[in-house]
Amino acid sequence: MMLRLINLKFFVFVIFFILILVCSNKTFAAEGGPCKDYGECDKFKYSLNDLESLQRGASTYINYCYGCHSLQYSRWGRVAKDLEIPEDIFFENLVFDKSIKPGDLMTGAMPEDAANWFGVTPPDLTLVSRYKGDDWIYTYLRAYYEDSSKQYGVNNLVYPGTAMPNVLLSLQGNQKLVCKDIPEIASNGGEKRDESGKTITKEKCGFLEVEEGTGQLSKEEFDSLIYDLTNFLVYIGEPSKATRERIGWYVVFYFLIFTALSSLLYREYHKDYNK
Amino acid sequence: MNEMASKLFSWVNKRLPIVNTFERHMSKHPVPSKVNFWYLFGALAAVTLIIQIVSGIWLIMPYSNTEEEAFSSIEYIMRDVDYGWVIRYIHTTGASLFFAVVYLHMFRGLLYGSYQKPRELVWIFGCTIYLAMMAEGFLGYVLPYGQMSYWGAQVIISLFGAIPYIGESLELWVRGDYYISGITVSRFFALHVVALPLVLIALVFLHLVALHEVGAGNPEGVDIEEHLDEDGIPLDSVPFFPYKVLNALVAIGVFMTVFSIIMFFFPEGGGYFIEMANFQKANPLVTPDHIAPVWYYAPFYTMLRAVPDPLGGLIVMASAVAIFFIVPWLDRSKVASIRYKGIFSKIALTLFGVSFLTLGYLGTVGVTEIRKLVSIICTVIYFSYFLLMPIYTKYEKTKEVPERL
Repeated sequence: MMLRLINLKFFVFVIFFILILVCSNKTFAAEGGPCKDYGECDKFKYSLNDLESLQRGASTYINYCYGCHSLQYSRWGRVAKDLEIPEDIFFENLVFDKSIKPGDLMTGAMPEDAANWFGVTPPDLTLVSRYKGDDWIYTYLRAYYEDSSKQYGVNNLVYPGTAMPNVLLSLQGNQKLVCKDIPEIASNGGEKRDESGKTITKEKCGFLEVEEGTGQLSKEEFDSLIYDLTNFLVYIGEPSKATRERIGWYVVFYFLIFTALSSLLYREYHKDYNK
Repeated sequence: MNEMASKLFSWVNKRLPIVNTFERHMSKHPVPSKVNFWYLFGALAAVTLIIQIVSGIWLIMPYSNTEEEAFSSIEYIMRDVDYGWVIRYIHTTGASLFFAVVYLHMFRGLLYGSYQKPRELVWIFGCTIYLAMMAEGFLGYVLPYGQMSYWGAQVIISLFGAIPYIGESLELWVRGDYYISGITVSRFFALHVVALPLVLIALVFLHLVALHEVGAGNPEGVDIEEHLDEDGIPLDSVPFFPYKVLNALVAIGVFMTVFSIIMFFFPEGGGYFIEMANFQKANPLVTPDHIAPVWYYAPFYTMLRAVPDPLGGLIVMASAVAIFFIVPWLDRSKVASIRYKGIFSKIALTLFGVSFLTLGYLGTVGVTEIRKLVSIICTVIYFSYFLLMPIYTKYEKTKEVPERL
């Protein structure tokens, strides 16, 4: 009985602790609104076991991003191996500098004076998914809009005044900030209507809309491209993440068995003095 | 073969007190037969210390303590060292859980009066361990040399500067440079991996020796030495080995389950165990938007911020830790356990717990006017718990403590 009580209290405590952790995740996200003018960041759910997505992401990254952004903590061969791309195909199609060996770090393709081009040196992005978060990247890359007052003619809702041009503009098309008539919401949660039953609307601005026919990809195709790219950045931020989450189950299972067995043993000995 | 082994054993035993020590501290060491789960956190703290030492040794091997390579050597561990990420996450998760377990262990002490006569020294050694842990944790946090390592160290080291007269030279002496640099990292490395672990191990040894001299307490606050059997063994006791060892083993199982859930599925602990900004290399030119300490220092950081004057803040913060040392002399109650103490002790302890948690939360978020006010109120409650203790414990009505467990 005593043991049961101990375990119950312990259990409640453990649950409470985990709850705190989960809640803390939320409180952190709510701080200051990391997606700035965009509002809440769009939610991103990585899928590191989807190798095709990671391969497409890697290809997009190397073709569009790697020219400026290095992945200096990662090695070429490791990416090929983890993404299950045969080394010969990988090196033929994705590695443009033929002197590179599989063990080399992905130190980037920018010349030394690159900082002068954009005003700042394009940052290394190996760990960007870890210090910015995947939601942020996924939202940021889709939040460019036309702004002729800026150096490259674009601005970003998530990162106002960003120094990076919209490299994927030709794929996405020309995205603009537009105003829309939005139905007003009454205090009871329904739409407000006037006497004739027509919905009362109010003009609101700040919506992103792509000018039709200006991009090579549809909205869905572009979102999926950014999904794969973000997925790749999550992978590169922590290449062992998929392994970690896989073997984690075995370790937890092992300790559950360990707990069960030791608790049976303890109960047996406990009988000696607490009949 | 068996005979040889037993001969060898007796040869060694005549020269080294193996059997005696085992009997004295394990198989014949009496501990109260009835305790609750609060009494398991000490064992868990010991387990975590061992985990930290072992994982730490393996981290030292690939880690580089230079300004240029500290950060990238961590990524080297996370990527290129076989299962390096396991070792590193064990160490980061272990650090946070070490503090979690020790906070619960300390709270147990306050709950059941574990510091009362004759256990004052056990308590004082414990407080010293906590102090050494705080230093150890701080030094270790600087080593990955990320943004939060750098700016956290900047804030903490500049505290020394608030001390009058010697402040500035002390600050320089601690840092070893005019700003935080590779020199700071390498000296913090030496202190983190050699000096403080030695201090911690020595203190834990003293904590246990003192504990075994006076015996473990119990949630009833009953002195089990009062009722002995004909062999002089307390009636309400069981030998530490195997009974309590097995009890601890169950606790270790539960603890390791929680430990592995965190390290394999939430190693960043929602940004509390590894802060997001620390995935960026230290940059002296860019201050992060929001410098927050790791959660286990947060209550004290809030107190520091609650006082507008830097020296005043430092004094408040230092006193908040130092005041634990004199608790054995602040408690004037006739009884040890909260179960038999009066209503004022119960209210005081609850308020203390709530204010500590609130201070902790406030330390991890930005400052607003209302939060500042709440942190001042909580700081006052925190200190009142200790400073009013001699009054409310002396004059409140306590319940009768039973004779036996």
